Amino acid sequence: MIGAGKIKQYSNVLDKPLSKGKQEVSSSAFAFLFSELVQYNQTQVDNIAELERRLEDAGYAVGARVLELLCHRDKNGFTCETTFNMFYLDHVSIQEIASLMSSNCNFCCGIFDLLNFEANRETEGKLDCWVSCLLYTAQCGKCYFGKVADSLEKGTEHEDEYMISEKELLVNRFISIPKDMGTFNCGAFVAGIVRGVLDGAGFPAVVTAHFVPMEGQHRPRTTILIKFGEEVLRREARLEHGNFNDLVKAIIATPVDVKYTISFLHSSYDLSHE
Amino acid sequence: MAAIYSLYIINKSGGLIFYKDYGSAGRMDTNDSLRVASLWHSMHAISQQLSPTVGCLGIELLEADTFDLHCFQSLTGTKLFVVCEPGTQHMEGLLKVIYELYTDYVLKNPFYEMEMPIRCELFDINLSQAIQKDRVALLGR
Amino acid sequence: MAPVAPRSGDAIFASVEHVNAELFTLTYGAIVRQLLTDLEEVEEVNKQLDQMGYNIGVRLIDEFLAKSNVSRCVDFKETADVIAKIGFKMFLGVGASVTNWDADGTCCSIVLEDNPLVDFVELPDTCQGLYYCNILSGVVRGALEMVSMKTEVTWVRDMLRGDDAFELQVKLLKQVPEEYPYKDDE
Repeated sequence: MIGAGKIKQYSNVLDKPLSKGKQEVSSSAFAFLFSELVQYNQTQVDNIAELERRLEDAGYAVGARVLELLCHRDKNGFTCETTFNMFYLDHVSIQEIASLMSSNCNFCCGIFDLLNFEANRETEGKLDCWVSCLLYTAQCGKCYFGKVADSLEKGTEHEDEYMISEKELLVNRFISIPKDMGTFNCGAFVAGIVRGVLDGAGFPAVVTAHFVPMEGQHRPRTTILIKFGEEVLRREARLEHGNFNDLVKAIIATPVDVKYTISFLHSSYDLSHE
Repeated sequence: MAAIYSLYIINKSGGLIFYKDYGSAGRMDTNDSLRVASLWHSMHAISQQLSPTVGCLGIELLEADTFDLHCFQSLTGTKLFVVCEPGTQHMEGLLKVIYELYTDYVLKNPFYEMEMPIRCELFDINLSQAIQKDRVALLGR
Repeated sequence: MAPVAPRSGDAIFASVEHVNAELFTLTYGAIVRQLLTDLEEVEEVNKQLDQMGYNIGVRLIDEFLAKSNVSRCVDFKETADVIAKIGFKMFLGVGASVTNWDADGTCCSIVLEDNPLVDFVELPDTCQGLYYCNILSGVVRGALEMVSMKTEVTWVRDMLRGDDAFELQVKLLKQVPEEYPYKDDE
């Protein structure tokens, strides 16, 4: 029979090799699916805040798995756990780790960016773990939304806030918000993804999506505002004069932290409190 | 350069779901535009029946002294038509472009309800760009 | 207007914009999760997925027609071929083939070569009755209804349920005449 022969049957999803992550579907297919997600959720809510919350929840479920996949998709066997363990080893220099990872998976690219950044910052003697994790998030954005965010800024008014801005968020591409829905933004879904990724990586945060009017533009751009949790702030305070190893140690030592269990593929990530 | 007077989109039951006029000629109030839409819907259907050609899909072009009317009907029954200065070129191409904008900015919008009047800001923005004369001229290439 | 030749599914898929298939897969997964939480009953989830697919189908058909230049099909056989060869390819990037025609040409099967919806998915014991991909059958049904074909679309083989392929059965129930329904009382 035509076609059918191409499918291999796996009795268990765990036996199936993890896809390489290169596959694509048309952006229309995603747009229609997302549109239906919004329409369905509209039938389930009484108000706009509730709709936003439900979209964010859906996004969170995606984000948690995005992180997991990026961590697994690693040809040379790097995983979150090995990566973190490597950082523990004092004799491994940042440069060595960087060169090991430079050609690796998206996750490692993320870390690589992060390392570059830290190497530059070392002279200042202060580490900024937020920026690191934001870079990482941006890297996820590149993988999943085809590009790194248009801009990444630290909030000027609040130290614990970061903003990722997009002229045109993928999910908002075809969507016109009716006037009676006020400031509602379907980017809540993307905010949920970012929150899922950050949470899984040990940076719990409140993430929200906002329209920001742009001068000379018809359409406002969407800003994803990230406000980190208190525990992240406390950790940051402890890291005031640390170095990169300390940062990683601190990440691992933080009560809310994630212990990655990566012994088998496809598992949902294991969020165990230590 | 020839001008486009107005654009109509009619749903499959003959209801006007979008109307826009460009420039001063042929400007109409809401009632008139609704009337034109339902009139055209019926005429289009009758033309299919009257046509000696088997499988005729209805009028594509109506040429009058003071205007041309180009119509495109999709297989789903949605009709788009433009009224323009006689002899305006590339209208079939333009209708196709507008149809694609409709599939993008109307049908993919979760806040658009099928068969209802189109109120989508992004559709308006992209439409006004597509309908600019220099853009339309490019369709000839 | 001179008829334009229909484009092949591959050509269309190559020319449209793409997104990462995982984002698509995971988003679909999030939808199924929401439904399972909201509706609780697996049977209700199947129905809702089919309904959501239908809603997508009635919208998506116009884009399909606009991008593919497909004109009116002469018969249901051609329709099924077009869905399999162009439809699935252009949106999901997967090929499909048509088999198992019945004698009078009103019922056939579409077998998918791949299915991006099910990556990373395994049905837990509590969801054994779930037709995880029911959205696809709804899409086909909705899209065909917009071009005057009432159909019934069901999964006859589903790899998540242990079968060896993904096979959709499409059954033509009624072809609504395309002319303007003057005789209707409406």
